[in-house]
Order: sequence, then C-alpha cells, then structure tokens
Amino acid sequence: MIGGLKYFLSEACLSLWRGRRSSVLSILTITIALFVLGLFLLLSANLERTVSEWSRSAEFSVYLRDEATPVERGAVERALRADASIAGVDVVTKEAALARFRRDFPELAPATAGAPGNPFPASFEVRLGSSAVNASALETLATRLRTMSGVADVRYDRQWLDRFASLIVFIRWAGLSLAAVLVLAAGLTVTNVVRLALYARRDEVEIMELVGAPMSYIRGPFVCEGIIQGGSGAILALVLLRAGLDLARPPLAAVASGLVDGNAIQFLSAGAVALILLGGMLVGCVGGLVAARRLR
Amino acid sequence: MPGAAVERATVIEIEGLSKLYARDVFALDDITLHVDRGEFAFLTGASGAGKTTLLRILLRQEMPTGGHVKVDGRDLAALAPADVQAYRRAVGFVFQDFKLIPRKTVFENVMFALRILGVPDVQQRRRTFQVLKWVGLQHRANAYPVELSGGEQQRVGIARALVNEPVLVLADEPTGNLDPDLALDIMNLFREINGTGTTVLVATHDRELIRHVGRRAITLDHGRLVETA
Repeated sequence: MIGGLKYFLSEACLSLWRGRRSSVLSILTITIALFVLGLFLLLSANLERTVSEWSRSAEFSVYLRDEATPVERGAVERALRADASIAGVDVVTKEAALARFRRDFPELAPATAGAPGNPFPASFEVRLGSSAVNASALETLATRLRTMSGVADVRYDRQWLDRFASLIVFIRWAGLSLAAVLVLAAGLTVTNVVRLALYARRDEVEIMELVGAPMSYIRGPFVCEGIIQGGSGAILALVLLRAGLDLARPPLAAVASGLVDGNAIQFLSAGAVALILLGGMLVGCVGGLVAARRLR
Repeated sequence: MPGAAVERATVIEIEGLSKLYARDVFALDDITLHVDRGEFAFLTGASGAGKTTLLRILLRQEMPTGGHVKVDGRDLAALAPADVQAYRRAVGFVFQDFKLIPRKTVFENVMFALRILGVPDVQQRRRTFQVLKWVGLQHRANAYPVELSGGEQQRVGIARALVNEPVLVLADEPTGNLDPDLALDIMNLFREINGTGTTVLVATHDRELIRHVGRRAITLDHGRLVETA
C-alpha cells in the first residue's frame, strides 16, 4: 500500500517535472479559480461579521422626551420587553449618553461643556434576537412606539442592514457562481494536461497493460498528478489571499476608518481554508480520473 | 478422469478458433490446436499468416470471432476485464520490439513485473538479480535500454517475461530485429527456459532457426492451420 503510494507519487512528480510548462499552466488556472472563490468567501465572511456587529450595536433605539414621566418610561420599556424578537433592552440615561459622547468624540467634548444643561436625550437601546427577525413586525412595533407618550423618536436601522445582508448574499452567490465556472475550467485544464502526460507516456502505459499491471497501478500516477496540481493551486491561492489581505489591511483601515476596524478584518476560517484545499485536490483528482478513464 | 488429466497436461487449448477482421476476411479460420505443458513449439508461416493475431488473442489483446481458447484452464473469452490483467501476469510475453520502458534501468524494467504483483521489496531485488544473472546481464543492471545492443535488450525482455515464473512464455518474432548469431543465442535461451519446465510458444517466420532448434512447428497459411509437425 505504502509502496504503491510512493510509486504513484514519484511517478506523478516525475511527470509533472517533465511537462512542467503545462503543469504550471494548470496549477495557475486552479490558483485563479480558487483565489476568486476564496476572495468572495473572504469578502462575504467579513461583511457578514461587520453587519452582525452593527446589528448588535444599535439596531433599534427609542429616544425619550426629557419630560417623560417614570410611568411613561415604564410603559415603553414594558412594550419593548414584551416583544419576542427583542433579545435585550439597555437603558441609557441622559448622563450616560453625555458621558458616552464625550468619550467617543473627545475633540467635541468642550462644546458640550458650554451648552446649557444636557442636550442628550435618555433612550432605550434595543438588541434584536436572531437575524430571522420579522422585519415587518418590527416596523409595526416601531410605529406603535412612536405614538406612545414620552417617546421623542424611534430609530430603526434594521431595514438597511437587511438590505445590506441581502447584498452580501448576492455577492456570495455571484462569487460562488463565478468561482464554479472557473473551477470547471480549471478541472478541464487539469484533464487536458494529465491527458498530455498520458499521451507522452502512451508506450509505457501500453507496456504496463501488456505485462499485466493492474489498472489502478496504471491510472494511479495520473490521478496523483491531478491531485498534486489541484493541491498546489489551492495552496498558492491561499498564500496569495493571505498576502493580499495583509497588504490591503492598512489602506482599507484608513479608507473605512470609523465604519470598520481594519484590524478586525479576518482571514478565512479553518473550515474555508480546508474547503479550498480539499476542493482544489478534488478538482485535480477528478481531472486526473477523467483523463485516465480512457485506459481500459 | 482421463479428460481432466488431459486438460491439466495441456496449457494451450484452441478449438475452432476464428478471427474475422472484415466481411469474409479471416485472419484465423477454424484453428484447433493444443500445446502441452512443458512443450516448446514454434508458430510459423509467412507474413500475414495469422501468427501475431493468434498471439494477440492468447495475450487477450483481441477477442476471437468464434471458437474457444483456454490457457492453463482459463477460458480467455470469459475473463472479466479485471481478470485480464491478472491473467497477463501469469503469462510471460516477449515482443519483437522489446517494449522496454526507456526511462527505467535494466534492473527496474525487470523488477517492475514483480512490483505490480506486490512482491516485497527484498524479494523483488533478489529475484530480479537472479533472473538478470541467468540471462547474463547482471553487469548491465544499471544501464538504460538505449545503452544496450539489440540482443541485450531482448535478453532484458526475456528476463522480464520470466521473472514472475510464468506457466507459459509467448514470444512474437523475438529474433526479428537481431542478426543470425544473436538470434541463435536468444533461441538457446528459450531452450533453457523450456528446460526448466516452462511451456514456450515462439512465433517466427525463420525456417532456418526452427530447423536448428528442432522442435514442433505449427504452420499457418492465410489464417488456416496447415501443418503441425
């Protein structure tokens, strides 16, 4: 078994070296396909994470009038807590709002010192539950809250976040579709490159057939060659993605400052890395199998 | 059971074999032939007589159009695709054009036939060395086929055919690319192989060689068996 694998591997490496030009072409094709796939996975994962953070921070804020009575405040809070889609309600007093402003915008803090009284309203900051929250039900709740006495305003930013999430889904599917086409092209390239290798060694293959070599023994090196091409392409794509991300992080952080924390942009998850690596090897394996299939 | 005893004693059993390539063009026509275990026989005839076709059928490269072929009790027509390779491993075949793998050394070319059988490494090396010594090429073990003379290449081909200790060795014009002295040399090697009890069937059109070796000659003419003497 181990001897057989060693044989497949050595034969495959030799064949790759002999046809190195076409092998490089094949590996690059896989690299491009998997790079595109990885890029879209990277983009969608980070966008999703960002939207999720935005969603968690303040999706639903109910601002209270300064003159709202404790009874009115209590009624609003009860209405909020009674809704099943609301995971939590934080009470932000006028003082807490002022302190937060001074902390978040220190350069503007002196302006508040000269203002008469505290201009910031008290509010309820609402955390929503899962992303499967019924948007129309929340809109109805927002409308009802706006009519309650003691409420100055209701800010509900879930709608545009939902639109943004839909955009991410679209980006992901567009990326996956593009990557699928490129992966198919890469698979065909591997098939043809392995077929070329097979053609170059057709005499040897014929001899192996005639001396009774098992088909698995004849096909093995070609399948192994495809797997090596696919795996190499995947590793190269992952290295390029990682390097690209490290290069893009500082300018991205500068451009998106305030919106996104540049350092919070993360590389692909271990699962996605494994998916790309195994996917590349699988594409190569299928390419090698399709090419070697012609051998009887 | 006399019938069973006869079957055990016969390595090649051909009954009413025919091979039709095109309409009414018979490469082989109603051939019935037996080759006994331990026999050395020649298959002869002019070019196009059907020698190579018969050998290709015996190596299961082609299927007959009619009749039955059994080798060492195996019905070749009934072999499943997976069994064809196993059958070929049990038969040694020597080719006119040697069919050595150019990028492998002499040693590797011979050892390859053992490797595909899954024989342990140490045994592969020991047996390969023994066979190369037997054909007188142990000193050329690390040479590549291109560095060998025609006679030496054919000896490597014979060594590869023998290394698995086959029950039957088939050879298709094994001396076709060699000068007369080397041809005799190779024939003597086949005689030695036969001396160990291995059945040998050699296809050749060289009547002088057959006369020199002095064994049974099975003569084909336009696909028909015309003489077996």
